[in-house]
Amino acid sequence: MTTDVLMLPIDLSAIGKEHWTLAVIGYSVVFLALILLFLFFSILPKFLTRNLRKKFQKEGSQEMAALAGTLVPGEVSAAIATAISLYLEELHDEETAILTIKKVGKSYSPWNSKIYNVINFNRFQR
Amino acid sequence: MEGIVRFFENSGFANATPGHLLMILVGLIFIYLAIRHEYKPLFLVPIGFGILIGNTPFIEHAGLHLGIYEEGSLMNYLYMGVLKGIFPPLIFLGIGAMTDFSPLISNPKLMLLGAAAQLGIFLTYIGAISLGFTNPESASIGIIGGADGPTAIFLSSKLAPHLIGSIALAAYSYMALLPIIQTPIMRLLTSKQERRIKMKPPRSVSKLEKILFPIIAVLFTGFIAPGSLPLLGMLFLGNLLKESMVTKRLADTAKNAMIDIVTIVLGVTIGASTQATTFLTRESVYIFVLGATAFMISTAGGILFAKIMNLFLSPENRINPLIGAAGVSAVPDSAIVVQVEGLKADPDNHLIMHAMAPNVAGVIGSAVAAGIMMNFLL
Repeated sequence: MTTDVLMLPIDLSAIGKEHWTLAVIGYSVVFLALILLFLFFSILPKFLTRNLRKKFQKEGSQEMAALAGTLVPGEVSAAIATAISLYLEELHDEETAILTIKKVGKSYSPWNSKIYNVINFNRFQR
Repeated sequence: MEGIVRFFENSGFANATPGHLLMILVGLIFIYLAIRHEYKPLFLVPIGFGILIGNTPFIEHAGLHLGIYEEGSLMNYLYMGVLKGIFPPLIFLGIGAMTDFSPLISNPKLMLLGAAAQLGIFLTYIGAISLGFTNPESASIGIIGGADGPTAIFLSSKLAPHLIGSIALAAYSYMALLPIIQTPIMRLLTSKQERRIKMKPPRSVSKLEKILFPIIAVLFTGFIAPGSLPLLGMLFLGNLLKESMVTKRLADTAKNAMIDIVTIVLGVTIGASTQATTFLTRESVYIFVLGATAFMISTAGGILFAKIMNLFLSPENRINPLIGAAGVSAVPDSAIVVQVEGLKADPDNHLIMHAMAPNVAGVIGSAVAAGIMMNFLL
């Protein structure tokens, strides 16, 4: 059975059972792989939280144990990250209005030293 | 006088055919789209320039060793990296080193959207069979629906090396045109109310989870579809280099210098492989038609599956169905399309972080699909 649809020579009889089998199995296996990952990473946080809670309970910090595993909202994480970043970079909103003028001094180098220049060369000869 | 005649006979002017000129025009369009509109410039500039190199006419098989299909030519040597399937896994190594899987780890159910959006691969495979392509050719054409250039090149290098040029060109062209292809389907399949759905912010992910993800994922996917190991092995290795924080230098090389070098060589050789004498065939036209269909089906598959998932989810956990479109693995282009479309419905609704989850899951899904095709057909 050959039908010309939009100038394309589509032959539906060419599609066999084995082609559908490959397509169905292939699609199912893609799902299977990602479902397994989904299940594993859905369970993992609960497992990690339980371990963390046990650790805090052993250490006697009941408050921390109760908080372990609770979701930290994105805004809170962002605020903490910004605070740490500002602290580390010592940035501040209010300027002190004191300008520090750095003293400029030339560092020593034999290439610009007067004692090694050409005029003094004879003196070294002596 | 005889020398002048011979010189003219060897020149491009004497050997040019309408096919060569057409392909040169295609190359120029690619370069124009990349530079003027910044459509996938990292790929389209090398590919477009490769098309110019590959389609500059000359006397083929005259011992000049110029053409990509002539043994001993520079392009032929470089093309070996494509034919032997070396370049795509190296690109995956770099992609792994620059990909953050935390959106996926923080909301694992979105992985299913990455699987659903592979529908285009398998339906296009059936479509290609009906157009008279062989089984391995059809699988290579179907993989265009994964919207993943390296995966498409890798699979076609194994199953249908003679179609690499057309398949790669179709995949990258449609990836560049993703906003044009996906947007109408997204609007058609979702209501304005659905497009406005605000999703819960993703939770923070621990370092241990980030380290465990590539290790567990490579084992799971490798055991299920060993054929996907060259791609996914390298992808997850790159990600482990990044997340372990102890191999910063290796991760930096993988995601910068190495991926850049491979992208240049891959792009130029893929472009040059579209030599008019071998490329301009009826099959190439069919591949382009099937490729567009594959992209559309995959986009629809992801969106519809998100809508189905919403039937089973509580109102506060509902998914914005637009992010299903990001299940095709064009990272991060399809996530950006989702973000733009989401903002049009609600200017306060930023979906990009949520869309990145199915987006990276799509990379895994399409590589697994390629692995299964290889397992079945090799």
